[in-house]
Amino acid sequence: MAHLLREQGFNAFVIVGGLGAWRKAGQPVEIVPENDLVHLPTFARKVALRVRQAGR
Amino acid sequence: MSDLLSLIAHHGYVIIFVVVFVEAVGLPAPAALALIAGGAAAASGALRVPEVAVLAVMGMLIGDSLLYVLGSYTGWSLLGFLCKVSVNPETCILRSAESFYKRGRAALVFAKFIPGVNTMSPPLAGSMKMPFLQFLGLDLIGACLYASAYGGVGFVAHGFVLAIVRDFQEAGRAVEIVVVLAIVGYIGYRISLYWKHRVYRVVPRVRVPELARKLQSEESGKILLVDVRSHGYYDPGAARIRGSIRIEPNNLSEEIAKLPRDRDIYLYCT
Repeated sequence: MAHLLREQGFNAFVIVGGLGAWRKAGQPVEIVPENDLVHLPTFARKVALRVRQAGR
Repeated sequence: MSDLLSLIAHHGYVIIFVVVFVEAVGLPAPAALALIAGGAAAASGALRVPEVAVLAVMGMLIGDSLLYVLGSYTGWSLLGFLCKVSVNPETCILRSAESFYKRGRAALVFAKFIPGVNTMSPPLAGSMKMPFLQFLGLDLIGACLYASAYGGVGFVAHGFVLAIVRDFQEAGRAVEIVVVLAIVGYIGYRISLYWKHRVYRVVPRVRVPELARKLQSEESGKILLVDVRSHGYYDPGAARIRGSIRIEPNNLSEEIAKLPRDRDIYLYCT
């Protein structure tokens, strides 16, 4: 990725060790906000939907 | 194969259970061959059919249940790990999830006959919160079908199986040569990939303490932290470096248009 970005003219670098090294160094992380989450289907959601429909 | 047959004749029940269990937890093991050998051994009277069937089914159920529990605790990160080997991991995850959601029940019944799918189906069921009893029931049907199919082949065609084993022994040397050539070819392929991608190793790298110092300095406004992990954020509670954004690595041409050219971009993954 970094190499491709540099070829496109961006000043790109790679963080050694990634998120794991970042956490290990005690640097701040954040929980991904709800609107950035991708909601994949689950069977539990389908069950919850049926329960709501039955309750109406 | 002949070693497997003689092992099964002496320690049949344990061997069948272990081999079937090992394959069920995703490791490469010849479960189908073990079942065929078990069926042949049962036909010749060395083993009893009910015990072979029960142990084979139990091995599969226990192995699949372990993967189900793993999937339910690790969420989508396990699927992300399994999809790492695909060309487009993000698409692999999304399509696997959608496909399993639509066909999950049928998939569990027939998954064991399809390499790859047999390993992914139980953790997918766990990740997608399929009720455990439902999963167990469907997996039981699948395990019975699988054990019956291959055990049945071995039982019905046990004479043919012995003939195959004899031919396999005679062709043993040729098979060894083919296996060695395949291994050499694979190693050569990996070396060629390494050589082709060595250019990517000249990308400048920065260690966390150095980056942390830059973020505390007046350079911080010029820095953009970018998460390029191969899959998206699926699990509530997923974490990222504070202040970072995510770009989809398999959609780079569109993502590049959104990136600022006047800032230093620091990429990270897991």
